[in-house]
Amino acid sequence: MRQRRGRAPAPLQDHTPEPSLFGESAGAAQRSSVRTARAPGRLRPDPQDLAISVSALTNLAREIVEGAFVPLWIRGEVTDFKAHRNGHWYFCLRDESSQIRCVVWESQRYRISAPPDEGMQVLAFGRLTVYPSRGDMRFVVTRMAAEGDGLWRKALELAMARLRADGLLAPERKRELSRYPRRVAVVTSPDGAALRDIIAVARRRCALVELVVIPAKVQGDGAAEELIAAIARASRWKDCDTLIIGRGGGARDDLWAFNDERVARALAACPIPTISAVGHEVDVTLCDLVADLRAATPSAAAEAAVPVLEDMRDAVTAATFALRGALQRSLLNAQARLSRTARDVRRVAQRSAERRRANLQMLAARLDALSPLSTLARGYSVARDADGRTLSTVEDFAVGDAFTLLVRDGEVEARTERAVRGPLPPDS
Amino acid sequence: MSFDSDLARLEAIVAELEHNDVPLDRALKLFEEGVARLRSASAQLSQAEAQVQQLLEQPDGTFRLDPLGG
Repeated sequence: MRQRRGRAPAPLQDHTPEPSLFGESAGAAQRSSVRTARAPGRLRPDPQDLAISVSALTNLAREIVEGAFVPLWIRGEVTDFKAHRNGHWYFCLRDESSQIRCVVWESQRYRISAPPDEGMQVLAFGRLTVYPSRGDMRFVVTRMAAEGDGLWRKALELAMARLRADGLLAPERKRELSRYPRRVAVVTSPDGAALRDIIAVARRRCALVELVVIPAKVQGDGAAEELIAAIARASRWKDCDTLIIGRGGGARDDLWAFNDERVARALAACPIPTISAVGHEVDVTLCDLVADLRAATPSAAAEAAVPVLEDMRDAVTAATFALRGALQRSLLNAQARLSRTARDVRRVAQRSAERRRANLQMLAARLDALSPLSTLARGYSVARDADGRTLSTVEDFAVGDAFTLLVRDGEVEARTERAVRGPLPPDS
Repeated sequence: MSFDSDLARLEAIVAELEHNDVPLDRALKLFEEGVARLRSASAQLSQAEAQVQQLLEQPDGTFRLDPLGG
């Protein structure tokens, strides 16, 4: 490359006439050259007087070159491409035998979908000029297209890579569409076939769903900006459940706005679940990639967005049955719980009554064992006075008093004959 | 209340009712709410057909819906 660059000014040198050929302007230079060369009797001119400055030369060359060429398309192979950090692109276009240095100013870069690859065959539109500061010729490119689809495909890939790097293509970003939207917004051209199709399909499926058109140009100059504005409007509005963005089928160039990275980013940022419907089966657009759902056509988008009224009716019927059934089951459950509890209570009560009864019997047996009556049963008797007090010592008995003797099988009326303290008689 | 949220709530209500240990008074409350939701959902199905409209943003930043082409 470097050697070629060195040769670049060669054509200029070939045509470089004698210094005397040059005057203040091209026309003047030619006239004066004639005069100078042919004027007889003059001294050979002194180079001191004739020499012009390098700037004058290069500026003159620029004027001539710029005046001689209208802006034009040239065809060549890209070599030595360099994207300078000042934003300008520098490269050479060449064919088998020649080359021309080219530049794309930073301010014009937006016109070109992507930087060309090394070795790519391109068509470049621009004008030819001379750089006075370097003294070489440049082709200033304002438009470029690859032969074939190299450039746009590359542009798409680059944009896709940037979207992916920002996580905008991640499958987990995809939101569920509203099952039963009340309102569906449609970003498209108000007089395009896409809108007609969407309206027709939506009406057929469920005419209760409101369609709100947010008009935008979908192709040509300014389409991307209008699409972005429409998406932004929907995003601010928010009062809808689903957003369809799309257009009918078209040539690749017609769909280009949907491959605009800014449009895709606006769509990705939309707070409403989105369906992209760009009517082109073959190419997937950037909008298709970032939307929550990609529909092949606007009609398919409407089908995805709008439920069928009959299905909604069925859903209500199903919900009615489900609710009734659930309540019934819930009541049955409560009933079952109640009777289970009642049974438990009964069982517990019964068990405790039985336990109490057993206890009582046990106590009765023990009481029985301790009862003085059992002593009587063994042949003892108890003496009690008329008040029922037990007479247990000699002092309790007064001679002549009546008392009652309690024996095993009844009572005996008795009277005290004699009461003597002392050891019990041996056999009583 | 939208049809979508009505149906979603109904599903949640049924799911809760099917849970075995819903207290009876809670079950009855849920059922009552479910009936109201059903009524609202059915009412929405009998609404008039919607028009196709156009979203217009007004200078003060508010939005207006106009019939399309009107």
